[in-house]
Amino acid sequence: MNFHVYNRELFVETIKITGVASSSLVLVGDTETIQLASTFDTPAESLIIGPFVPLSAE
Amino acid sequence: MLQRTSCVDNINIKIVSFASTVQLGDSCIINGLSTALAVQREIEVFYGNEGNLSSYRIFSEPIPFLPITEPFTYSRQNPNPLIKVNKIDIIGISSSSLLHVGNSRNVSMEARIKHIRQLQPTPRNNEGAEEQGQK
Repeated sequence: MNFHVYNRELFVETIKITGVASSSLVLVGDTETIQLASTFDTPAESLIIGPFVPLSAE
Repeated sequence: MLQRTSCVDNINIKIVSFASTVQLGDSCIINGLSTALAVQREIEVFYGNEGNLSSYRIFSEPIPFLPITEPFTYSRQNPNPLIKVNKIDIIGISSSSLLHVGNSRNVSMEARIKHIRQLQPTPRNNEGAEEQGQK
C-alpha cells in the first residue's frame, strides 16, 4: 500500500470537550505512532449482592 | 522532515486531575498508564486501606497488540505547515489523560479498570412492590 498525505490548510474554530479520561489523548499536532489499550472488567461475579465484605487490603 | 506548527489561541480547562498532563510544545515519548478499582456501594462504607490491585488478573494480564503485516509505504508533504485552532474548551482531564498541543513521536496509553458493585440483599416485599409499580 502506498499512502501519500498532503497537509493543506487546517483551521479549526472551537474544540469543545466535556471529559478526557482513562488514559485518553487529545492531540493538536502530528505524531508517528499512537498505541492505545484499555481493559474494563465488570463480570457477573463483580456484582456482589449480600452482606458487606470489604475488599482485600493493600 | 519539515514539521508542522500547532497554534492554539485559547485553552480553557476546569480540572486536570489524577496524573493527567497538559503538554504545550513538542515531545518525543509519552507513556501513560492508569489503573483503577471502581467500587460502587449501596451503603457508604469505605475503609482507607482497601483494594489490592495484584489480586485481580485484569491489572497484570498482557493486552496483545496485533503486528502490522501489510507492506506499507508512507510519504507526506505539508504545503501549509500550520494547524490552527482558535479555542479549546475542556471541562475535565482525568486518570493519566493528556492534552497535547505540538508534535510527538511515540505515544502509548493504557487504561485498566475493574468495576465492582456491592449491593444490599433486597427484602422480598420490596421486590413485589417494585413489580407492581412497574405494571
